Amino acid sequence: MNLVEKILARASGRESVEPGEIVVAKVDRLIMHDLSGYLTSQVYEKRVNVPIPDPARAVMVFDHHFAPPTEQQADVLQHNRRWARKHGLKLYDCGNGNLHHAVVRNGHIKPGMIVVGSDSHTPVHGTLGALAVALGNDSHAGTVLPYGKAWFKVPETTRVHLEGAPKPGVTPRDIALWLVGRIGEGELNYRAVEFGGPYVRGLSFWDRWLFPLLCVDLGAKCSFVEPDEVTEAFVRTLPGGDAGLLVHGDGEEAAQVLRFDVGEVDPTVACPPTVGNVKPVAEVAGTPVQYAELGGHGGGRLEDFRAAAQVLAGHKVHPDTRFHLVPSSREVFAEAAREGLVLALHEAGATWFPPSTGSNQAYNMGAMASDETMISTHARNFPGRNGSPDASMYLASSATVAASAVAGVIASTVQTGGKS
Amino acid sequence: MKFEGRCWRFGDNIPTDRLVKTQYVFEPMEILVQHVLEDLNPEFPKQVQPGDIVFAGKHFGQSSGRAIATKALQATGIGCVVAETFARTFYRNCFEVGLPALEVGLNPDFAADGDRVRVDLATGEFTNLTTQTTIRGAAADPFLVDMLEAGGLISLAKNRPEVFR
Repeated sequence: MNLVEKILARASGRESVEPGEIVVAKVDRLIMHDLSGYLTSQVYEKRVNVPIPDPARAVMVFDHHFAPPTEQQADVLQHNRRWARKHGLKLYDCGNGNLHHAVVRNGHIKPGMIVVGSDSHTPVHGTLGALAVALGNDSHAGTVLPYGKAWFKVPETTRVHLEGAPKPGVTPRDIALWLVGRIGEGELNYRAVEFGGPYVRGLSFWDRWLFPLLCVDLGAKCSFVEPDEVTEAFVRTLPGGDAGLLVHGDGEEAAQVLRFDVGEVDPTVACPPTVGNVKPVAEVAGTPVQYAELGGHGGGRLEDFRAAAQVLAGHKVHPDTRFHLVPSSREVFAEAAREGLVLALHEAGATWFPPSTGSNQAYNMGAMASDETMISTHARNFPGRNGSPDASMYLASSATVAASAVAGVIASTVQTGGKS
Repeated sequence: MKFEGRCWRFGDNIPTDRLVKTQYVFEPMEILVQHVLEDLNPEFPKQVQPGDIVFAGKHFGQSSGRAIATKALQATGIGCVVAETFARTFYRNCFEVGLPALEVGLNPDFAADGDRVRVDLATGEFTNLTTQTTIRGAAADPFLVDMLEAGGLISLAKNRPEVFR
């Protein structure tokens, strides 16, 4: 059995499981943000409403808001706070960061766990060697909160094997975006995706994170990286961190293996209207951008701010462009401050925002007019995601986003003269 | 379970954000239902009738996994949603909220807006009565059919709690 099958077998009290079977398994962690948590709470209060036997299983992080801009949204947060207090659920209020980073940084996710959440990027936690799956609000309210269980169909597994050496200036984010275009949106529907091969093995934990993040766009149920010494070392840095729960697969070859040479990849951008519409940056270079942002589910890591500081060294943000920096967690902002990145990027003309999901869905900021364009590290670029459905959103690496902020138009790092 | 009605045709890769736009997420269902899919077809929320069938392309319901998107679609009164392929969270949510869904594979030109279509969930057959053609989709897993017959996941858990204990 592979990692996913082993975790599902253990959590459903079976010796083994086969792809295609439906099992009811014990869930270790339910993660919710202010929006998904509100929807789950509505279902729970109206249709379920029994005591929650193990409230420590559920964690809620307010991330789509960092300060509610309307009375209606303030009411949503107040409702969520009261609901969390009533049932004893763990709550991280506004300012702690985006859901996925905040729960990892605070030690709520461990290898070998089953993690569920409504947020479609929940599978990103497979980077730690957990089985992490997005479920709907009714699953959470109807079975996870009252019974601590959920139903799962055991997925077939596809292994994405990455080898070769990237060209200079090509980052893991470029490779991740490029893969969505090469494999195709929805092409791995319902499958578990294992990212492996020498390229993935050679990455740091937070660079590996960018690969399970994209699996939802491939249609996958979940994604994982087989735990190794990088995983173990990372887990030890977490609060209460020990790697004792690590689960390893038996090393069997997956049912389907896709092999790619990362040396083929150029700096890449996902163009409107979907994440799979990827092109080399060079094809859309010169497109004016009014907003550039390091944040959202695909950014706001310390690595992103380091890359931006390198690109902006000796440069200023273009006067026609707003460059927003959104730390993925409080811990990242603290580290960026210690490293001097906060002042360096501020003085170059960028603006720091509180740890949150940033302009994702424009709850806090970043609604766009119909003729505006944004380039960001976000995970999504669907029309209407941030304001007008006629606004344009491009997704790229932190280096490309920073270079575009300097140029005022979409540009790769090379064109600004910045170091890459 | 059989459904018959007019077909509403939508394209590929439609995200849940376009079923329920961000600015309406906190609104009550009676507001949401007036805006479902309005960016893609403004007539849909105004003219959809009970029993109509939504037929979409590949990877329908991608993006955010919020079940409210399936609930808003269900609240229009449609009988069934058919797609070439569904995004998995959307497919799961359909059965959990009690909205029948059928996946039919690659048939992009099978039915057009306004055609009369029939869906037989038990056999997986999707018939275009206007053109008199039938395709066969994949029958849903028996666990999901049970859930649908119970009226959705929460009703299933209430009626048969032993499943989740």
